[in-house]
Formats: sequence, C-alpha cells, structure tokens
Amino acid sequence: MKTAWLAFSVPLLATSELVAHLFFAHRAPTPDQWAASKPAVQAAYRPGQAVVIAPYWAEPMARWKFGDQLMPLRDVARPDMTRYPEAIEVSAMGARSPELEGWPVRSETKAGPLAIRTRINPKPVTVTFDFTDHVDPQSADVRIERGSSGSACTHTDSAPLESGGLGGPPTYPAARFRCASEPNYVFVGATIIEDQDYRPRRCIWSHPPPGAEMVTRFRSVPLGNVVRGHTGMGWLHERDGTGPSFTIRVFVDGNEVGSTKHWDGDGWKAFEIPLGLAAHTTADVEFRAAGANHVCFEADSR
Amino acid sequence: MSLRARLSETMRKKGGVRDHLTGFGLAVSYVAVLLSTVGGLGYARDEGFYYRAAQSYAGWFEQLFSNPSVAFGRQAVDAAWAANHEHPALVKSLFALSWKYLHQKWHVFAEEGTALRFGGMIFAGAALWLLYIWGTRARSRTAGLMAALLFALMPRVFYHSHLDCFDIPIATTWALCTYAYWRSLCQKSTWWAILTGIAFGLALDTKHNAWFLPMALLLHALLTQWRSIWSGLRIGDLRIPISLLAMAIIGPLTFFALWPWIWFDTIARLTAYVQFHLNHDYYNMVFFGVTYWRPPMPRGYAWVMTAATVPIVTLVLFGVGLWTSIRGWLGRLFARLRRATVPDPGSAGLLWLIGIAVAYAPWLSSNTPIFGGTKHWMTAYPFLCLFAGAGFDTVADRIRAVVRDRKKGMPDALVTAGLAAVVLSAPLAETAHSHPWGLSNYTPLVGGAPGAASLGLNRQFWGFTTGAVTDFLNKNMHHGDSVYIHDTAWDSWELLRRDGRLFAHVQGVTAPHAGSFALYHHEEHMEGVEYQIWQAYGTASPVYIGQYDGVPIIYVYERHRSGAR
Repeated sequence: MKTAWLAFSVPLLATSELVAHLFFAHRAPTPDQWAASKPAVQAAYRPGQAVVIAPYWAEPMARWKFGDQLMPLRDVARPDMTRYPEAIEVSAMGARSPELEGWPVRSETKAGPLAIRTRINPKPVTVTFDFTDHVDPQSADVRIERGSSGSACTHTDSAPLESGGLGGPPTYPAARFRCASEPNYVFVGATIIEDQDYRPRRCIWSHPPPGAEMVTRFRSVPLGNVVRGHTGMGWLHERDGTGPSFTIRVFVDGNEVGSTKHWDGDGWKAFEIPLGLAAHTTADVEFRAAGANHVCFEADSR
Repeated sequence: MSLRARLSETMRKKGGVRDHLTGFGLAVSYVAVLLSTVGGLGYARDEGFYYRAAQSYAGWFEQLFSNPSVAFGRQAVDAAWAANHEHPALVKSLFALSWKYLHQKWHVFAEEGTALRFGGMIFAGAALWLLYIWGTRARSRTAGLMAALLFALMPRVFYHSHLDCFDIPIATTWALCTYAYWRSLCQKSTWWAILTGIAFGLALDTKHNAWFLPMALLLHALLTQWRSIWSGLRIGDLRIPISLLAMAIIGPLTFFALWPWIWFDTIARLTAYVQFHLNHDYYNMVFFGVTYWRPPMPRGYAWVMTAATVPIVTLVLFGVGLWTSIRGWLGRLFARLRRATVPDPGSAGLLWLIGIAVAYAPWLSSNTPIFGGTKHWMTAYPFLCLFAGAGFDTVADRIRAVVRDRKKGMPDALVTAGLAAVVLSAPLAETAHSHPWGLSNYTPLVGGAPGAASLGLNRQFWGFTTGAVTDFLNKNMHHGDSVYIHDTAWDSWELLRRDGRLFAHVQGVTAPHAGSFALYHHEEHMEGVEYQIWQAYGTASPVYIGQYDGVPIIYVYERHRSGAR
C-alpha cells in the first residue's frame, strides 16, 4: 500500500513542474521592464561611471533599452573596471556582478524587478591619459620602422570599413592610420576584439608588417606613475595557442621603460610598467609593436 | 494453447486495425499541429543546404519519370546527386518529391519551405504511430498512447519535428528497425525479419547513426538467446535471429538501391562518406560557460543536456518504467533459479534499454563532438518514451487501486484520463511555450531559459531564429537597405524570401560592414562578430532583440542609430 501512495508523487511532481515552468518563464525582466527602469538608471548615473549588468547575459537587454548614452561602446568594451571610481549595477533576479566584487554599495533603488545600485570602487585610481581614446592625428603619429628606415602612416577618417565575420579579424575602422604599400590589416586604429571569456575589449590594433616595428607615438602625454594596459589578439585567433608571439616595447621620450610579450593563447593579458623618474611628467610615449600576428593593446597612464 | 501462441494472440488483438487507426490519428494530428505552427519558424542552416540538394535531386526524379534510361546513366546521376553527398539520400529524396509535387505541381503547399519540411514531418507523425503500436503491444494501450504523447511533447523533439533535416527521421527509422526486429523475434516471422532488413536499409539511407544499430540488435540477441546461439555453435550451427541476417543482406542492398550517388565509384564514394563523419569538424558548443571546440569534450554533456531539456515528469516516468522492467527481469531470474519459467519473448524492455544505451554510447568518449546539442542522441528518445509510457501504466495502476479502495464506483478510465491530463500538463505547457525558440528552451530543472543562460548553456545554434525577426526587418528596412544575415545560411535566407516571409526589399549581405542592418545570433564563440558590428556601426545598442523569457537570443543592429528605443 505504501508504494501505492508513492504513485501519487508522480501527479504531484507533474503539477510542481508546471508551476515551476510558469514561474521561470516569467522570472527574468521583460523588455518593457528594462525600458521602465531607464529613468531610475539615468537618475543614478554620473559621467565617468560604468553601467554594469548582472547577470551578464542580460546586458544586451539593457543596451537595447538604455541606449548608447548610458552604455557607450567605450564603457561596454572596457579593459577592466579598475579605472572607474563608481559603477551603476543594474541587477535582475538578485544577481551580482563578479566584476564589482568587493565594491561597497552606496545606494540602492528598485525599478520593478530590477535593483539599481551605486557601487564604489574601493581602490580608485586617477587615469591621467587613456591612449586608446587618443588614436588621432591631434595626439599621435604612426610609422613603420624596418631597421634604420621608417615610413610614416597617415591618418584618415574615411578608410573603407572591413569586417571579417566569424573567425575573421576585427573590424578595420574608418578612422585609422593607414600605411602606404602595406596590406589592409597593417594599420593603427581603435577596434574591438573578444577576450578569452568572449567579452568585448576595445584596443589599438597595431599589426606590424613582417620584420618591422609598428611605432605609435603619443605626443605630450601627462603621465602618472605607471603605464598600465592589456594585450590581446582576439580569442578565436589565438585560442589554439600555436601561433607566433608579439612584443610591445614602451618608450618615454626615447628611452625604453619596459616591454610586454604576448604569447598566442595568453588571452586578454595585463601589463604594468613603472615610469620611475618619468612619473608625473609630460612626455612623448611610443609603443613599438613587433611580431607577425594580430596585435591589439590598450593602455593608460595612472 | 502454448504461451507463445497466447502471446501472439494478445499481440494480434492489441495492435489490430483499431489500434492502427488510433496510431494513424495520432500521426495525422501531430503533422497537422506541425503544419499549423511551422510558419513562425525560421530556417536552420542545414535546412538551407538540404533545400539546395533537394532541388538538385528533384531534377533527377523528373528525368527518371520521363527518361529513365538517361537518368540511370552516370552523367545524370553525378550531376544531380553530387550535391550534399556527405549525407545519404532517402530523406532528402522525400524532401525533393514533396517540394516537386506538393509545391510546384499540385500547389498543396504555397511555401517551398513547408513543402520541404513536410517530408520530415511525416517521420515525426510516423514515430508517434510506431510508439503507440509498440507500447500497446508490449504493455498496454495506455502505455502506447502515453509513450507517443510524451515523445510528441518533448520541446526539442517538437522543434526538430518541423525541420527538413535528418534527426527525427533517423529516430523514426531506428525505432522502426528495432520494432521490426522485435516482432520477428516475438512471432518467429520471416516477414518481419525481411522488414527488419528493409528498415535497416532505410535507416542507413537516412543518417549515419544507423551504423550503430546492428550493435544494439546483436547485443540484444546475444543477451536473450545466448543459450541457443551457444548450443548451435557447439555443433557448428549459426543460430542467430534471421532478422539479423536480413539486416546484413537486405539492409545494404536497400541502402545501395536508394542512394544513386554510390551506384558509381561505390567503394571510393562510400569511403569518402564514412571518412567525412569519422573526421568531422569540431564545431563550437558552450557547456556550463565553457566553449568547447576541440577534444576532450565533456563526458557529462549528453546526460546533463537530456536532464535539462526533457520534461522532468517524462524522465521520472522513464525511471519508473525502467525500474519496473528491472524488477521484472530480477523476478524472472529468481523464477528461473527456482526452475519456474516466465518467458518473455522479445524482451522489449531490454531492447529499449539497449536502444538508449547504444544511442548515448558515443558520448562516453571525450572525442565525440557535442555541437549538435540534443539532436544527435535523439534516437534514444523513442525508447525513453516507451519506458515512460510503461511507467505511466504502472503509476496509473497503483493510483487506480487506491481510488477503487476509497471511492467505489469511480470509473478506472476516468482516473487514468485525469492522471494523464495532469502528467501531460507540464510537457504540453513547456512544448507550446518553446515554439518557435525550440533550441533555447530548458526545463525548470535548470531554471528554464533564464536559468540555463545563468548556467552558461547554449541558447541556440543553426541561425534559425532569424524567423523571429522577419516582421521587424520587413517593417523597418526600406528600399536600398541591406542586412548582414550572420549565422543564417544563404539558402535558408533565400528560402525565407521565396516563401514571402521576408519582403522583396529586404536584401541580405554576408559581411557585417556591408549592411545597413545586421543580425547577431548569440552564441558565445561568435561574440567577436557582434563586436565587429559595434565597431562598424558605431553603436553597442541593438534596435531590436528577439528574446525568449527575457533571455536575448537574436539581436538586430542598425548603422548610425544610437540611443534607446
């Protein structure tokens, strides 16, 4: 008889499954609820903050409904969170962003099913210069150096856009330093690659021709204590770990202050170069990229 | 009357004309549901490839009916059948004939895509018919009916049942061959043995999963007839079931006869076919947040994905059915020890279990690709549902007994029907809700689609969700606009246009930078494509998202537009 009663657990389970299905089908915020939360996010938002979505998979919904004003490409494809003094965390279903772990909550409001929290960077830094923001002729010049000979690359705002699709290189932007007589992929310009977690990373494409150095010089840079940044190739390109490496050497007013080597398969790799006596001065900074591969880096001084 | 004769008589009564009419009704009803829901479902990548192949084959069939002597010549065969020769011909031939006659000639279907897909839907309907009959014969009409309905109400099965692809057809032909083998054992029937051979040939000509089928049936024969086989071997007599011989002889002949491509250069072409599948590319697939693109693949993939996508109650009933079978086997073992005999001709339960085990076996190896999601082991699902049907029968039996004790006069049929309604409610709700996002659907076991997204499980593949944004594109694109079609295969895109689901002015392009609009079908390893779109279009803000339960699936971007919408 006991097993007879046990049989009733099946319809009970079936009913529970139905209820659970209905619950989960309506658990995540709808597009309208994302849209309705925008005023609250706007009210909390201050320039210089990043809007961070938890869980991360819901971020496209926020980008759709919040727009570029709250979630500009520059912040969405950020190198990491260290540069931001504060962040607005928009949380669905009780999720917390791993990127903001250890960031105290200053304030929290609710907008329907979404929680909007202002969170404070416990170790704020002052970025004195973001190199990726200044890949333009007003701030930089580019040349290719082969041994003792060099050839300048010229800037244009209207180069033909190129994007390779799945497995192809990142988009070659319209605004870039083009190098005469070189293939299209040999240029310097800001683009976006995917890291080892397939997250977007904005960086300076700096693909050198074989046997040459791609030199990008930023003029009169207000320096902090270090030059800090990341290197990457685009994960689909480097994930097999069988390709060649590249090196980026950093020069301040013509003196090498450090370098970083990126091996195929390193992913989005951080580097930090102390500036020593050059700290807190204004100087020209050169990044010299060498190696026959996709080269992308981002850097700031702080 | 001998036990075998009594069993045969029982089987004849259950599974007669009335039951076949019921099975046929189930099949027709399911196909009708599939046809009524097919309109919102975009075309998967592979459907586009098979569409092209079917067009080529249709030309050959036309030649066959008008000028057979030319059609059988090598020139005609090579010209028509070279298309998509990495897969055999049976199902694509049906797509071709359906497209040729039901769309082009007789105009039964206005849409080319629906005509193609009809060829696949027939297999889905046939699977329900077969499950009903087998469940009825092996256990009861209730078990058969529930097996068929539980199969129909698996969200992933429902999705794949719509397609002009091979996954439901191979599940059907695999089950058909197994059923014919079982009948040949039960009834010692040469007729059923011949049908087993033919069904095996059809399975071989459907998809390469069929290569594993002889292993399953041979294992079953060895386990159930080892005494006879062993005693035969001792006197030099090979006493294996005649159906297995039929599979060895008739199967390959049927396969050969129905695939014109291998009529010429047979060895070379068959070798190429086998090599293609033995050395198949490892496409990307995400599992618990890790994208796998080369071995070792996670060994838990098949089990976890089954648990996460098959309705929970179906899995529980499968467990009950399997346990009931195991108890039966143990009981018979004890009975045999006591020199009693409880014969079980056919050993259906063991056959179903072997069918499941063999279908899943490739994923015990970490070298087996996992890119196909659940579809690659879908051959196990008919057997899983047969157990589930049997499990329902057991549960219903117990509940009826309790109700009879407590509520005299309550008709058993009413109790059974009520229980069936309750049991089927969740699978029905989940399946209905899954459409047209079949591959994005997950059961409550993992928290539905949002839970699966949080766990890092795959949201889609094959680019079929383009069908979910056609209305947006039709409305928002203007003459001169073009859209990057991302993971949509070109032939699948063209099929949407030819069917009128995409208006004529909606032009597709194949490079992100070339379009004024861009689609992005989210799969983790393709994120780089989305970033290419951002950079090319100057925005990270989509203008539309096709979302399922709040989970973003397919995004639409528009060049030079930013700000929230």
